[in-house]
Amino acid sequence: MIDIDLVCFLKENQLGLVALPVLGNLEEICLLYAIDRKIRGEDGEGYTFERFVEVLKRISEAAPGSLKFKNDCLMAEALEFIDETILGRLLLVVTTPYIKYKPVVVKEEKPKLLLDRLTGALEDKPDCRLTRHNLLDQLRTSLDVVPASVELGKERVQNTGSIAEYIPVCANRQHAMLLASYVHIVNNKIVSLQSAKLPKAESYSPRFIECLQSKIHYVPNLKPQTDLSLGDCSYLDTCHKLNTCRYVHYLQYLPESLKTKIANETKQTNNKLSSQRAVPFYVHGNCCSDVVKSQLPEQWIQCDVRKFDFSILGKFSAVIADPAWNIHMNLPYGTCNDVELLDLPLNQLQDEGMLFLWVTGRAIELGKESLEKWGYEVVHEISWIKTNQLGRTIVTGRTGHWLNHSKEHLLVGLKGNPSWLNRRLDTDLIVSSTRETSRKPDELYGLIERLVGPHARKLEIFGRDHNLRPGWLTVGNQLTGTCIHEADVKMRYQKFISNRKADLAKKRVDGTPCRKSTNAFKLRQ
Amino acid sequence: MSNKSRKEKHVSFKPAKELHKNDYSNNYVHTGSLPQKHVSNIDNTVEGYPKLEKLFQMKGEQVAQYTTTPFGCKVDIDQMVPTINHWIQKEKLTFDVVMIGCLTNNQFIYPLLTQLAMDKLVSKPGFLFIWASAQKINELNRLLSNEAWAKKFRRSEELVFVPIDKDSPFFPGLDQPDHSLIEKMQWHCWMCITGTVRRSTDGHLIHCNIDTDLCIEKKGTNDGAVPSHLYKVAENFSTSTRRLHIIPARTGKDYPVRLRPGWVIMSPDIMLDNFAPGRYRSEIEKLGCNIPMKNEIQNLRPKSPTQKA
Repeated sequence: MIDIDLVCFLKENQLGLVALPVLGNLEEICLLYAIDRKIRGEDGEGYTFERFVEVLKRISEAAPGSLKFKNDCLMAEALEFIDETILGRLLLVVTTPYIKYKPVVVKEEKPKLLLDRLTGALEDKPDCRLTRHNLLDQLRTSLDVVPASVELGKERVQNTGSIAEYIPVCANRQHAMLLASYVHIVNNKIVSLQSAKLPKAESYSPRFIECLQSKIHYVPNLKPQTDLSLGDCSYLDTCHKLNTCRYVHYLQYLPESLKTKIANETKQTNNKLSSQRAVPFYVHGNCCSDVVKSQLPEQWIQCDVRKFDFSILGKFSAVIADPAWNIHMNLPYGTCNDVELLDLPLNQLQDEGMLFLWVTGRAIELGKESLEKWGYEVVHEISWIKTNQLGRTIVTGRTGHWLNHSKEHLLVGLKGNPSWLNRRLDTDLIVSSTRETSRKPDELYGLIERLVGPHARKLEIFGRDHNLRPGWLTVGNQLTGTCIHEADVKMRYQKFISNRKADLAKKRVDGTPCRKSTNAFKLRQ
Repeated sequence: MSNKSRKEKHVSFKPAKELHKNDYSNNYVHTGSLPQKHVSNIDNTVEGYPKLEKLFQMKGEQVAQYTTTPFGCKVDIDQMVPTINHWIQKEKLTFDVVMIGCLTNNQFIYPLLTQLAMDKLVSKPGFLFIWASAQKINELNRLLSNEAWAKKFRRSEELVFVPIDKDSPFFPGLDQPDHSLIEKMQWHCWMCITGTVRRSTDGHLIHCNIDTDLCIEKKGTNDGAVPSHLYKVAENFSTSTRRLHIIPARTGKDYPVRLRPGWVIMSPDIMLDNFAPGRYRSEIEKLGCNIPMKNEIQNLRPKSPTQKA
């Protein structure tokens, strides 16, 4: 005999019983059912848990699929899902002889649409708060799920990618002022520290010595002309008038011992990390001979980018371009104009991959247009947050037109749909201090190398000598000489040069004046 | 203290000869500590510059002195265009500073920009700030750089807002599609100028180079859905008192859209619905359209760009 009351109970509470806090626990359902019976004034005596399970089993057999137990077995002692529709049908079958308005009942029992079920869960019920929050939480968690490729990529980089020496910076102003009276500065350099006086300082500021031994400090470089009330110099360490400037300047202080300690630790960690490179089974996005292959040394070609044949270079996974945009600026080097830039055949460099384009001000739109013209989609914009010696953003001195500029933009163009990228390891922010005019932060190289893998071919256009880097090929007109290691590139390059020489010679014969010194190339092994 | 230990101590504090520079990107990948956390002037951006600190304080005080009542206008997104068009045509309202959007993803900016009579809503000279995700700004690029638009509104600066960490309400968490190459950590703003202003001669209208084009979120500001910095940049730049902020998005109940003195804020989720065009007009009449010049501020503010050293 089927317990009709229990079927009704299950049917009515189908959502509540499997949701929190009951979660389909049979013992709790049994208890709730007993309470339900009591409320309806029925006798709860003699209704044991064993009997309850027995009855459940009977219902589940009579209407297959109506009750789903965890792990598909009754021993699991928990219900996972209650199918209201099947239970309704069972109820119908069992009670038909007694019901007169059958068609009406059937209509009500139509399977609900998913939307109805979802909104049903949101209807005002005594436990609606709970359910709604559950739903939201579920939504959030499912949206927050990070693809396994990202998790694995992150883990691999953490366990095999080399780390850079990192020393925290002290943010305590008092430490800096204390230090100012203990350091001995000669020729704008800290030459020594009066360590004998340190214990006394410790009494003003506890843990001072410990901080000194573990962090970088910036010590005010107080000179006779320094006027503390004026505040800090806008140029700080790049100030050209150090000996007359009345604003405050700073000197970096960190103990030699700390530097050596960190250097040794980093070296050890990196040795360990590189020995682990063969370990991960997750090899996606890496070269198949990643572990044994050594990195190509830096390569460079000195050339006028505007007249260069880019087909010499082959194809690349990543390209950086830092053009000197021609925007009413007097820069200490030649700029090529915007049209010339747009006309560069940068569409030849990649079948699929990424192009990183540095842009400023008005060139942001032009840069986006150029990328689209070359076949790229602008997928990201990286901001370089420019900091000064003290790690502060630049708020004075280097003014923009309407607002001060404390960041620069790097457009990231993507061509094709490369599956070999290691995605989402870095963020779209680089925090790094400024250096010489227009010199960009080196952090970008690390970011790209993590994205495309250490052995992918990488190119930098408009590079200068300080941009040379192992694994990268740099081209630009301000480089010194030329150095190519890849045999095929070298061959094509030599052919290009000899063709051009021949052209020049021909022109000379024809009597047309030729430009000077285009053959000042030096091929190095 | 023995001689030996003194010597050791001396050695252990000997300054290093070479400068050290941290690579915060590398550090992030290995430790999870975000690069922006290492910026040392987040809480007080002008730390170390007493003149600028004074200027910020005085600007803040003066802006607070010349404000209209904080107005909210609670309007559904699809009613925004008709409502504003009514203001323009029937109520003859114009604003000098119009800010559109906030730091959220589902914004209906494009329909707003194309359907509104923007050149009538924004007076000349006037300033337009559009806040959205970098991706959205990029999509708007085509509209905003077409000739008809660019003639009226000249793009002048691109501002960036950076959330401090991934727990921030402004972290673009749901804006990370699976195919994203790097994690997004910023919001962008397109600042446009309409009409003619000159930074050298129009000191009664604009104060240039006070703020920078970057802001990193300060912890614990309790700003609600819109960081107060977004308002401050506009307030510090333009001396106008007629300011409108349109938020064409539902921002939800967790972070309310607060009112701000001196601004009319239109949003479906604004906390108060008290805007009345007549009252606003009379308040502006009493207050004047621009904050008056103040000598101390004129002396302190950066007037022409400093020559590069």
